[in-house]
Amino acid sequence: MKVEIELNRDGESNVIEYDYARRAADEKPMILDVLLQAQATDIPDLAFRYGCRARNCGVCTVDVNGRPRLACRARIKEGDRVSPVKTLPPLADLVVRRDGVARQMRGRLTSVAQGNNLNQDAPDDYHALTACVECYACLQNCPMHARNFTDGANPNPSEGYQWGNPFSLLKLQMLRLDPLSSDAGRDQALAHAEDLGLDACRDCKGCKCGVGIDLMGKVVRPLLEAAGE
Amino acid sequence: MTIETEWRNYDVVVVGSGGAGSMAARAAAEEGSRVLVVSKDPIGCSDTKISEGNATVRQVAADDDSEEALSENLCMAGGNLPVKDITDAFAKDSKTAFDRFRAQGLRPAIDHKRNNPKATPMAFGGHNRRRSVGLPNHGIAFGHANWNAVVQGNGVDYLEDAWFLDVVTDTFDGDRARIVGGLIYDASGGKLIAVRAPAVIIAAGGLSTLFFPKTDTMRGNTGDSYAIAARAGAELVDMEQCQFLPFCIASPPSYEGLLVGEPASASFLGVLRDKNGKVILDSVYQRTRAECSAAIMRAVADGRGSPNGGAYLDMTGNKVLPRSGPYFMRYLETCLPGAYVNARQAFSKPVAKCEEPWEVRPSAHYHMGGLRVDAVGASVKGEGAGARNLGIDGLFAAGQAMGGLFGANRLGSTSLTEVSVFGSRAGHAASQHAHAFKGTIEDNAFAPVIAATVGRFGQAGTVAAATLKQKLQKEAWDTIGPARTGDGIAAIGPIIDALTARLDDVAIPAYATWNQSFIEFEELRNLLETARAVAAAAGERDASLGGHVRLDRGDISIFAEPYSTVVHRGVDGSYAVRRVARPKTPLKQLLAYKAEESWRQFQSKWFRFLPDAVKDRKLETRYQAIMGTPSGAAREVEPGSDDAAVAEKRAA
Repeated sequence: MKVEIELNRDGESNVIEYDYARRAADEKPMILDVLLQAQATDIPDLAFRYGCRARNCGVCTVDVNGRPRLACRARIKEGDRVSPVKTLPPLADLVVRRDGVARQMRGRLTSVAQGNNLNQDAPDDYHALTACVECYACLQNCPMHARNFTDGANPNPSEGYQWGNPFSLLKLQMLRLDPLSSDAGRDQALAHAEDLGLDACRDCKGCKCGVGIDLMGKVVRPLLEAAGE
Repeated sequence: MTIETEWRNYDVVVVGSGGAGSMAARAAAEEGSRVLVVSKDPIGCSDTKISEGNATVRQVAADDDSEEALSENLCMAGGNLPVKDITDAFAKDSKTAFDRFRAQGLRPAIDHKRNNPKATPMAFGGHNRRRSVGLPNHGIAFGHANWNAVVQGNGVDYLEDAWFLDVVTDTFDGDRARIVGGLIYDASGGKLIAVRAPAVIIAAGGLSTLFFPKTDTMRGNTGDSYAIAARAGAELVDMEQCQFLPFCIASPPSYEGLLVGEPASASFLGVLRDKNGKVILDSVYQRTRAECSAAIMRAVADGRGSPNGGAYLDMTGNKVLPRSGPYFMRYLETCLPGAYVNARQAFSKPVAKCEEPWEVRPSAHYHMGGLRVDAVGASVKGEGAGARNLGIDGLFAAGQAMGGLFGANRLGSTSLTEVSVFGSRAGHAASQHAHAFKGTIEDNAFAPVIAATVGRFGQAGTVAAATLKQKLQKEAWDTIGPARTGDGIAAIGPIIDALTARLDDVAIPAYATWNQSFIEFEELRNLLETARAVAAAAGERDASLGGHVRLDRGDISIFAEPYSTVVHRGVDGSYAVRRVARPKTPLKQLLAYKAEESWRQFQSKWFRFLPDAVKDRKLETRYQAIMGTPSGAAREVEPGSDDAAVAEKRAA
């Protein structure tokens, strides 16, 4: 089974064809199977991220035919092209630099640690959001995240991106839903969402979660409604 | 072009950003230390995040849950190998350690009557009390808490995509070694970072990747914790004690290594068969993991294994009985839900429905051995429990990296508590150590490791590290894996030597940013070091105990004098191993345990010879007691716990 893999090394990019040897006649391999076999055979220095192989750790996201997929649990077929997710800067082969997203949350999680009564039940929506594995599939087609790269801008990820994305909004909405947050903390989380460019969500058709969280219903719309008040 | 080195100063460096690393970082920062977390995977993407997400919280369900009871529980379960100071520390802090996750946003359901987190309805794996708390979304919920702990700032800086390569030491008070910092490869920044710091906490997880893909844990478990510590001259304890889960997926490849069952989930009539259909182990639910793994691996060694190097777990007998059969599937689905999800996804429908046997094989799950430390995670050496003033000054460990807490076996739901208890203990102790540090850190102490590392970039060679790694993984499985023999353990030494000799022949390009060849090289170096430590300890433990299964020897008697193995790397890279005596369990407790074990075995033997109709009715009654109705639910057990393998229950 032939697939294309985009390699990026030391500033140069090229696409190679890899012929996956099926291990059983009826095998329908996952993307990760192909990458592991390529590394074990023809491309021993192939760079890609993976972790748990069971859709829990969230690190193995790649693009297949231009759409983000968790490599460990998405099937691949003849002729597909595997490339690094295009929403983040490539580092090597299929590895992209992720930390510009997390770093934008530094200093924005301050209401996390509070000394008040811990023994309060969180609402169901809070638990719905802890299902996020931080795979960053939601960055695809996000107009807010795209602002970081407007007009060919090349922001330094070490400083954290200026503009947000569904993941950063999810972390802020968790703070708003947390029964331990103070009212001031909730207002602050909303202010951070606005700083990160929440206005970009107003005309957006919606974002897609890699593990099936209702991002529009449970993150974006509640924040927009709160901002509209 | 040579790779550049940047210099930084911190009080405490934490290696790893899982449960142990993030809790250590917060604890150190709370004491005013400047903390750097170094994580090779994205922040929080650790075994904690992919776990079942159950934590031990003492007294969560009953006030009479004493520290003594829990500490003794851990010691007995661990075959007396655990260090009492360490199990005592675990028991002491286990009431409040969970709150450290809650301070970072972990929100369990609340028992409003007791005004604390709600306990799971039944006692968990081997515990003599109800004291476990579960979370929606399992470990992923803990992953969020760990992420928040590190990313928020408040005294903690972090690097992800950064490989901590080695600690740097100098000597003081004559020839005692002391930490003065470490060297980091910042792959996304494309540079080396030399950190001057008087304290380093190693919280970089276990070694299961030594057996990849025969593991259900994170890829990053390349033995970094043990290798870094060993190269610095620290001692490692109980390194032969690797916990393998016997019933994991052998095929299809995408699911290889993931858990599908435990002895308990095989239920009353589950048996193991070889490729010819011959029963190689009956009464599976009454067996230890070691017995199951040994039966599977013995069949493989004799050429009677399944096509993918395992054997068949046949549970069809449970299913076909008319009265008890309907209960069985529901039991299987509910007692180990995550495992059954794996089975349903990986296997064909008739197989998943237990109309056909499951092809299974053991997988590496958790490493119980690790750095030899005291109750605050500080490196120790010497006899007995060891002494901190003999250890590497300024070196600490927490989580799977440390040894001495679980010994030969682990209670269920304890590791998520372990990471918080010993993460925060190590964080506090390292912070105090850093504040009391009086010496000066000389940059020339870093020169040899920087020069050696810089020299690797652009190394000419003929082989890829990833290729050598796969060779090591295969050999490690055959020799120091779930079933070992004296000959096998002896054979791995020369193989490791040969692979180590080839490190200088690994081709590594010169470019600095995300150099995958260099990353593979470093992880291979750590895997080789770790394999040496495991082999040395396994060679010393000359019969079976806990996670160490010798096919050519019997079990170590529970009446024998218990000992731990301690390994130490010499400057020439060879490993010395010795035994350290451990206290014995009182004879009365041992006799009670033996009597219970014999009674259990007698019962299951006798039961097998009953006529089917009688068996069916008796099983129906048993299932009713467990689940009520065929649509009820079994009590959930934790993978790797004693409850999931009742024969391993040692606790009173």
